[in-house]
Amino acid sequence: MSAPRRRLLVGVLTLTAALTASACSGGGSAPQTDPNTITFMSKLFGTAPEPTGEMQQALEKFLGKKLKVTWVPNAEYSEKMNVTLASDNIPQVVVVDPHMPAFVKAAQAGAFWDLTDKLDKYPNLKPADAQSALNSSINGRTYGLYRMRPLLRSAVVIRKDWLKKVGLEEPKTIEDFYQVAKAFTEKDPDGNGKKDTYGLIIPKWPGDYASASPYDVIETWFGAPTGWGERDGKVVPGFDTPEFVEANKWLKKMVDEGLVNPDFATLDSAKWNEPFFHGRGGMIIDVNIRSRQLFDLYRESGDKDYGDKVTMVGNMAKSDTEKFSYPFTGYADSLAISKQSVRTDADLDNVLKTLDKLATKEGQILLQNGIEGRNFEVENGDTAALINEDDPAVKTVQDNVDDAFVQFGTKGTVDIGGIAYQRVPSGQPYRDILDLQKKLVEEDLKTAVHNLALPVISATQIEKGAQIDKIVSDARVKFLSGAIDEEGLKAEIKRWHDSGGDQVIKEINEGLAKLPK
Amino acid sequence: MATDLATPPAKAARKARKRRADKVPLGTALLRYRWLYLMLLPGLAYFVIFKYLPMYGVTIAFQDFLPFLGYSGSPWVGLKHFEALFTGGDFGRLLFNTLFLALLHVVFVFPAPIVVALLLNELRLNILKRSIQSLIYIPHFLSWTIVASLTYVLFAADFGVLSGWIREFLNDTAKIDYMAQEEWFRPLIILQQLWKMTGWGTIIYLAALAGVDPNLYEAARMDGAGRFRQLWHVTLPAIRPTVVVMAILASGNLLDTGFEQIWLMTTSLNRDVANVFDTYVFYAGIQNASYSYSTAVGLFKGVAGVILIFGSNWLAKRLGQRGLF
Repeated sequence: MSAPRRRLLVGVLTLTAALTASACSGGGSAPQTDPNTITFMSKLFGTAPEPTGEMQQALEKFLGKKLKVTWVPNAEYSEKMNVTLASDNIPQVVVVDPHMPAFVKAAQAGAFWDLTDKLDKYPNLKPADAQSALNSSINGRTYGLYRMRPLLRSAVVIRKDWLKKVGLEEPKTIEDFYQVAKAFTEKDPDGNGKKDTYGLIIPKWPGDYASASPYDVIETWFGAPTGWGERDGKVVPGFDTPEFVEANKWLKKMVDEGLVNPDFATLDSAKWNEPFFHGRGGMIIDVNIRSRQLFDLYRESGDKDYGDKVTMVGNMAKSDTEKFSYPFTGYADSLAISKQSVRTDADLDNVLKTLDKLATKEGQILLQNGIEGRNFEVENGDTAALINEDDPAVKTVQDNVDDAFVQFGTKGTVDIGGIAYQRVPSGQPYRDILDLQKKLVEEDLKTAVHNLALPVISATQIEKGAQIDKIVSDARVKFLSGAIDEEGLKAEIKRWHDSGGDQVIKEINEGLAKLPK
Repeated sequence: MATDLATPPAKAARKARKRRADKVPLGTALLRYRWLYLMLLPGLAYFVIFKYLPMYGVTIAFQDFLPFLGYSGSPWVGLKHFEALFTGGDFGRLLFNTLFLALLHVVFVFPAPIVVALLLNELRLNILKRSIQSLIYIPHFLSWTIVASLTYVLFAADFGVLSGWIREFLNDTAKIDYMAQEEWFRPLIILQQLWKMTGWGTIIYLAALAGVDPNLYEAARMDGAGRFRQLWHVTLPAIRPTVVVMAILASGNLLDTGFEQIWLMTTSLNRDVANVFDTYVFYAGIQNASYSYSTAVGLFKGVAGVILIFGSNWLAKRLGQRGLF
C-alpha cells in the first residue's frame, strides 16, 4: 500500500471517529442533582399522566417540588429495569422488586442506599409492619421502602350458578373441592347436554417454584411449607416434604380424570379468565381480586345478573381439624434510592424528606384516591366514593391515579385503604364480594403458613438461578401431565439438589441464623 | 487494506484498479473521486459505530461484570465463565438442541424457497404468478408473537381447530396438547418457519431465475429437451451460484435458532428439547442478571458462527464453486 493511500485511510478513519464521538456524547446526561426536582421510575398500567396535568400539578404543589417520572408499561417493566440498572441514568427513586437478581447484585455492589438504620429519623417512613419490612429486605438489610400489600390474597373463585345447578355447597375442605370439580365436569353444569366442561382452570404459569401458582397454593393446603419451612430443626424447600408429593398426586388424579383444563401447560396466563367467562371451566385458584375482574367481564358483556355468576371461598382445609392457608409476602416492590443520582448524605436526606411527606396521610390520599372534592368524596369518614365520573377532565384525574400515581403509594391499596381511604366500588355485588374478601382474609390469616426464607438471599441462588430454578417447577408440570412418574419427579428434585440446590439450602440456613432477631 | 474496504468485485478488476491507483497520486485520486469517497462515509460510520465499537463489550465475558462498577471497576476472572459453560450440565443439551433444530432447518426450511421459486417459474399465467407471489410474502410481515398465537388457536388441546379435525379424522377422543409435547415441539417450529419464511425467501431465487438467458432454453428445446431436462440442465445450473452464496450465509447463522419463536413456544413440558443458546442467554443474562456468563455464551456462539462461515466458504471453493470471499 502506498503512503498517500494510507493517508487517505487515516483521513477516513479520523472522520469516522469524530462522528462516533459526537454520537456518543449526545446520549448521556448528567445525574440529576437539582434539589427542587425529584426523579422517579415507576410502573404504568395505561396512559402516562401529562406532566402539566391536574393530578401531577396537585402532587407537585403538595410536595413543593418538581416531579420527573419515567413511566414504563407494566408488561415490560422488569426488562426495562434490567436495562436501567445497567445504565448510567438511574432515576433517584425507582419502584423495583427488591429480590430480582439484577437489583440484588446492584444493591450489594453499592448502587443503592442501604436505608437500614436511616429510616427512624423520619416519622412516616418507619416500617409499619416489621415482618413485611424484613421480608422485603436483602439478608436483613433494607434497600427500599416496601409497598404494603395484604398479607393474604389467595382464594378460590367459583361459578356461583354452576354450584347451584349441580346442587353442591361451597367447598370448605380439599375433599369438597374435589367433589365440586368432579360435578362441574360430569354433571353438565352449563346444561347444553354435552360433557364439555371441567372443574379447575390452571394456566401456563410464568413463575418458578413458590411463586403463588395454583400448584403452590394446593401444596400449602396439604401442609407443605409455603416455599421454605422448618422440618426437624432445619429449613428446607417445600418440595423436600412428603406433603408436596401428596398434593401433586391428588392434583394428578384430577388431571387424569379430566377435571382440569387439558391445556394447563400452555394456556396463556393473560387469558386465564376466558375459559371461566365462556363457561368452559368453573373454578380458579388465584388472588381474591380476580373475583371482581370476572364481575367486570360479565357486566361489560351486558349481563345484569353478574352477581349470580361469581362467588369466592378461602383456602381449603385439609381435614376438619387441620387447615393451612397460603399467605403472600405483605409487600409488592420497594421504592429504592439510587446512589448514582443521589450522591451525598445531604441529597439523601432531601429525597427521604420528600418521600416522608409522600407517606403522610394527605400524601397517600393524593396517590391512592386523588383530589378530594374533584374525583372523590369521603363517605362515612373512612371510605371514598367516586364523583363527577362523567366529566372527562375528572376522568383523566381518576385514570392518572389508577394507572400511574397509585404506584408510589407505600401504605395501602385501593382495596384495603391503609392510611388513605378505601375505595367503595359501585354495584352491590362488588361491595358484597369485597366484604366477603375481607372476612376470608381475616379467617385464613389465622392458619397462614409463612415462608421462612423470604428475607434471605442465597448467593448460589443468584448465581445459578437460571440453571436450577426451572428444574422443580418443570418437573411438577411434567408429573401432572404424565410425562414422568413419581420416581421421575423425585429424580428431578434430586437433580436440583445436585446442581447447586444443596448449597442453596446451606446458605439459606446460615443466612436465617444471621438475621437480626 | 484500503482495497478490503471497497466492495470486492472480480479479482481481475481489482488488480486492474490497483494498477491504476498505483499510478495516480493519491491527492489526485481523492479529488477526482471525492464524491464517491464521501458516499462511502455513512456506511463506514455505521459499521464502526454500531458493529465494531460495541464489540468492546465482549470483554465483560472475562470479567464478573456489574454495571454499577463498570468496565474498569469489575474484577477480571479470566476464563471462569467459559469453564462454567463447558463443564456445566446444560451445555450438551443446549448444543444438541441447537444443532438438531439447525439440521432440520437446513433439510426442510432452506430448500423450500428454491422449490417454490422453481414452481412459480414454471407458471405460464403471469397474473397468477404475481398474485401467488404477493400472497406468500404476507406471513413474513407477521411477528412471531402472532404466529405463536395462531398456532395456539389451531392446535390448542381444548378448542384448537386443527387438533379438532385431526381428532375427528383419526376417530380419536384423546385431547393431545401439541404445544406441550416434547415430540411435537420440533415439527411445530419447522412448520412455523416454513409458513413464515418460505414466501419471502423465494424473492432472491426468482430474481436469479429472471436473469437466465431465454436463448439457453430455446437452444435446449431445439436439442429436444423437455421440461425436466430444461430444469435440470439450464435452470438449476443458472441459480447454483445464488444457492451456494445463500448456503454459506446460512451456515454462519446455523447456531442462531432465533430467540422469539423458540421462547414463545417453550413450556414447562418441552423445555428439555426447546432450550437453545439464544433462549439460554436470555434466562441467564436478562432474567438472572449474569451479564458476564451470558456474554460468554454469546461469544462462543459468535466464534462458532465465524468458523462455520469460513469453513463452508472454503468447502464451496474446494468443490469448485465461487465462494463469498
